Amino acid sequence: MISAIYTFALTTGANRVVRGARIEHVCGDPTLSPEKDYAFGLRIVTTALETLTVAVPGPTLFDPMAPGKAEEAARAS
Amino acid sequence: MSGPLRVVHYVNQFFGGVGGEEQASVGVTARSGPVGPGRLLEAALGDGARVEATIVCGDNFAIEQAEQAARAIAAELDRVKPDVLVAGPAFGSGRYGLACALACRVAQGRGVAAITAMHPENPGVSSARREIYVVPTGPSTTSMQAALQALAPLARRLGRGERLGPAETEGYIPRGSRRVHDRGRPGYQRALDMLLAKLHGAPYRSEVPYAAPERVTPAAPIADLARARIAMVTTGGLVRKGNPDKQVSANAVRYHRHEVAELESLSPREWEAYHAGYFNHIVNSNPNYILPLSFLRDLERRGRIGKVHEHIYALPGVSTPVAVSAGHGRSIAADLKAGGVDGALLVAT
Repeated sequence: MISAIYTFALTTGANRVVRGARIEHVCGDPTLSPEKDYAFGLRIVTTALETLTVAVPGPTLFDPMAPGKAEEAARAS
Repeated sequence: MSGPLRVVHYVNQFFGGVGGEEQASVGVTARSGPVGPGRLLEAALGDGARVEATIVCGDNFAIEQAEQAARAIAAELDRVKPDVLVAGPAFGSGRYGLACALACRVAQGRGVAAITAMHPENPGVSSARREIYVVPTGPSTTSMQAALQALAPLARRLGRGERLGPAETEGYIPRGSRRVHDRGRPGYQRALDMLLAKLHGAPYRSEVPYAAPERVTPAAPIADLARARIAMVTTGGLVRKGNPDKQVSANAVRYHRHEVAELESLSPREWEAYHAGYFNHIVNSNPNYILPLSFLRDLERRGRIGKVHEHIYALPGVSTPVAVSAGHGRSIAADLKAGGVDGALLVAT
C-alpha cells in the first residue's frame, strides 16, 4: 500500500507500506519541475514494487526517501 | 405463556451419533426428542422446556450442499414448529460452526428464534455474528457443561419471545449493532466522569468499543518482478471524467473496474478524482498521482516488471464502515487472483 498517512496503514494491518508524498498527490509532487516530479513518483512506485520481492513479518514501512533503512525502520507497534 | 417451551436442537453427525469424519457427508435427518448433548441441553433448560426433535446433518453436507441442507432444516422446523432452535455448541470446529450459523439463519428466516454457541475464533462467528446470537465457548468439548449453562437461559428467553439486552450484559458475542436507548445522563456528563476517572487513575470504560484490526498473513514475495503481472488499485476516488458510472464520493457500496490495456497513462482529459475526503484538484491535473499507470508502463517497457494488468480498481476510500471495506477488499483480491495477478499496488489517499 502506498500512502502518505502511512501510520494509519501500519496500525490497521497493511503488511507492506510505502510512504507516499502527500494525501493530495501520493505518487509525486507537482511543486517540483515536471522532470523531478516524475523521478520522485517513479522512486515511490519502484520502492513499492521492490517491497513485493521481500518477505515481511507483519506491517512494515518502506520509505522511498530513506533507501536501505527501510525494513528496520518503524515496525508497527 | 403456557405450555412447555418447544426446542429443536441442531447437531452434526458426530454429536448426533452417526459417526465421525467418515460420515461428514450424510444429509439431514431428524429424530424425535433429544440426542447426545441434547439431553444435557434439556437438563440445562430446566423444567418447562422440551427438546422435541433433533436435526442431525453431516458437516460437509451442510457446507457443500448448503441450499439443500437449508431446505431440509426448514422442512423439519415447519413440521415441529418450535419456539426456539438451539444449534451446537460447535466449540472450535469450523465446519460445524458454519453449519450451526446456517441452521440459525434458516430458523430466523422462518420466524423461529435461534441461538448457537461456539469458540469466538470459529469462522461461524465471523460469518454470521451480525445476524445471529452466538454464546462464546472454549475451543473443545470440555467446556460443554459451561456452554450449555450459559446458552440455556438465553434460549429460554428467546423462545418466549423476549428481546435480549446488550451483548456485554447478556454474555453473547457482540453483533456490532446499536440500539437507541436512554443512558440516564447526558453525554457531556458521562464524558467528564470518564475524564476525571482517567486523571485520577481510576478505571473507566469507553462507550465506543475498540475494534482491533484484522491481521492478514503477508503474501509471499514475488521471485522475479520481470515476469510478474502487476495490478493497480486506488482508494483515491478515481472516476472517468464526468463520472459517467455515477460513483459516490464517500461510503461507496461498490467499486469500479476499468480497462486500461490500451492506455499509456491516465490523462486528465479522461480521468478525474471524486472523493469527499481530500482536495481533488491536484489529482485532476494528473490522475497518475493516485493510480500510477504512467510509471508502471515505463517500468514495463524497460522490462523491470512483466506485465501491467489490464484492469484497474477504484473507489473513494472514505466514510466507509470497516465491514463494507473488508468486503470490497476481499472481492477485489479474489478478482485479481482469478486474473493471474502476482502483485498489486494499492494507492490510498
